[in-house]
Amino acid sequence: MSDPRILVATIGRPHGVRGLVRLHAATSDAASVETLGPLHDAQGHAFTIRWRGVGIAEITDGEGRIVADRDVAAKLVNVELFAARDALPEPDEDEFYHADLIGMAAVDPDGTDLGVVTVVHDYGAGVSLELRGARTIIVPFTRACVPKVDLAARRVTVVEPDEIELEGDLQLTGAAS
Amino acid sequence: MARSVWKGPFVDGYLFGKAEASRASGRNEVIKIWSRRSTILPQFVGLTFGVYNGHKFLPVQVTENMVGHKFGEFSPTRTFTGHSSDKKSKRG
Repeated sequence: MSDPRILVATIGRPHGVRGLVRLHAATSDAASVETLGPLHDAQGHAFTIRWRGVGIAEITDGEGRIVADRDVAAKLVNVELFAARDALPEPDEDEFYHADLIGMAAVDPDGTDLGVVTVVHDYGAGVSLELRGARTIIVPFTRACVPKVDLAARRVTVVEPDEIELEGDLQLTGAAS
Repeated sequence: MARSVWKGPFVDGYLFGKAEASRASGRNEVIKIWSRRSTILPQFVGLTFGVYNGHKFLPVQVTENMVGHKFGEFSPTRTFTGHSSDKKSKRG
């Protein structure tokens, strides 16, 4: 795994006088932050989260004390909370967390280094991986182009697709039925 | 305002030739295009186009649901990858 910790939430401003805070979840489903077990800040202090309203959470520190005072809650503003990567549910078959893919080494079928996966593009027209090495390559994340994803070895095998460049005369063509 | 129906969908004509050639070759190819304004036609389904977003060519795998939309819709020019840390994607 690239980083055993994954940022799942950031503590925001205090809410009310009883120690509740605004919590900015970084997960696709905010409710899941509660189920990821104890979260840790960058220094390793443990916190437990309990949702008390939409975007409002109650925080319990590592010793089991609930933050019940606004002043204490104010000291936690901007604290980033991380979960262990293993706490995330296992993805389906052929499904991968972006956090797992990013940072993987990319090699071609002969074993030649192509760089590192830096971005996973997903804009509704198929997923693609951006590889950065000696040059930047973007390949569709398909079985044809990425036949092997080895999570244990942190390596993807990439078959570069042929690229065809269109050289048109840019003439306007109207109807196409 | 919507485009008049009698004109038909707008497509840059030179896309047809390469799309046909790519389909005939049956190889693993990405057709690099700059024509973000072209409408996606049924003839393009199953092909992969690299649509320029002003910076790079983002692969667009054309499916039936995309017919009638423009190529540019699938290759954003301003990208925000988001804060979601548990994002996952399926291999196509």
